[in-house]
Amino acid sequence: MSKKNKISLSEEQLISALRNREKIAIEALYDMYSGSLLGVISRIVIDEAIAEDVLQETFIKIWNSFQSYSAEKGRLFTWMVNVARNLSIDKVRSKDFKNQNKNQELEINVTFIDEQRNTVYNPELLGVRDLVEKLKPEQKSILELVYFKGYTHVEAAEELAIPLGTVKTRLRMAIMQLRTYFN
Amino acid sequence: MEDIKAYIESGILELYVLGDLSQDEKIQVEEMASMHPTVKAEIAEIERALEAYATENAIAPPQHLREKILNSLITNLAVDNLPPSGGYIDSAPAEATDNVVAFPTSKTNSFYKYAFAASLAALIMSLFGLYSLNNKLQESQGQVALLQNKNQSFANKVNLLDNEINVFHDPTIKLIKLQGTPKTPSSQMVVAWSPQKKKVMIDMQDMKLAENDKAHQYQLWAIVAGKPVDLGVFDSKADTTGMVEMKSVANAVAFAVTVEPRGGSVNPTMDQMVVIAKI
Repeated sequence: MSKKNKISLSEEQLISALRNREKIAIEALYDMYSGSLLGVISRIVIDEAIAEDVLQETFIKIWNSFQSYSAEKGRLFTWMVNVARNLSIDKVRSKDFKNQNKNQELEINVTFIDEQRNTVYNPELLGVRDLVEKLKPEQKSILELVYFKGYTHVEAAEELAIPLGTVKTRLRMAIMQLRTYFN
Repeated sequence: MEDIKAYIESGILELYVLGDLSQDEKIQVEEMASMHPTVKAEIAEIERALEAYATENAIAPPQHLREKILNSLITNLAVDNLPPSGGYIDSAPAEATDNVVAFPTSKTNSFYKYAFAASLAALIMSLFGLYSLNNKLQESQGQVALLQNKNQSFANKVNLLDNEINVFHDPTIKLIKLQGTPKTPSSQMVVAWSPQKKKVMIDMQDMKLAENDKAHQYQLWAIVAGKPVDLGVFDSKADTTGMVEMKSVANAVAFAVTVEPRGGSVNPTMDQMVVIAKI
């Protein structure tokens, strides 16, 4: 039913539709970004049902506080992923969540999520294997911690027991790798 | 140019895109980006790479979720049925990604402000109340004193009248009318005498005697066994009222009044006799 017409707009079109509060913007927003955002949310909020709740909260927040997004300061997705990450971290740290769940510490368990979610991964994606091979394990883990799990680079340095400077370089190297791969 | 290169290589732009900078650092990066196109381009590259990476790691949400989320957003849209106003422009960078929200401190502030004003008003009102109550109290105290005075004089008068009435009701008392002598024919006075109780009183009110001067006083005498006995001195004034008790005597045969030097004499000056009565 939903597959019949997935809506896709250019980023500029989407931004102006969001600004004008057009209904089409809602659908386009969901169809274009729900997967990527849920990918980030699920790394932090492990529970599937709660992650889906957070995704909903994320879209509502994006919709309601869209006026605070400034296109000059960066891409739409960068802003949205920050919203999603912050809401996820809030959720994990909330009393509610801690009472409901066995308090699942944010662990460095890079493979944990992958194993759990492997079956849901978009199978149409091409080149993932190539990418994984190109990223060194240390680069992959730093991206996992900082980009997906919302660690600050200070927290990541503590967690990995490496100097702050090393975290920064590693992060930059990892992103450079991604850039040569994607761009 | 070297500086910019070093700046880019410091890794701060990556942290900027990851949302891992303080507010100040963020503003600094944004300033750099607006001044140097290379910095801006670098940021865009980083963003695109990470966005692509996220897309690679996307997790497709279940089918039912699409409907649910779209519905909640559309409901939202219907609720805030406001036309797009000027508010939705870039000029309002209210940083949605910041979780720090200032507590509304103005509430408590205004509470204390109002509380202070209220207590001040209460203080003024109670001071005013105190002042007017004090005035009333003093007024009342004045009235009470006035009434007590009046009451006192009434009581005195009642006492006096009581005494007078007692005189008239006492069956042992004789009222003796003293008549003027040939020298003072118009003089007259009444003496009330109870031989049993040896009580002598003179009626000051109905007394008809000339007013005495300061050097002289009237003296009442009783004649007992042919000799005059002093019963005391008195003054005659126009406004004198009531009965005055004199010295006591038991068996008098006559009463007489003479004018004597102030304080009285041992023996009566017979040619100064004004009234007399024999019993």
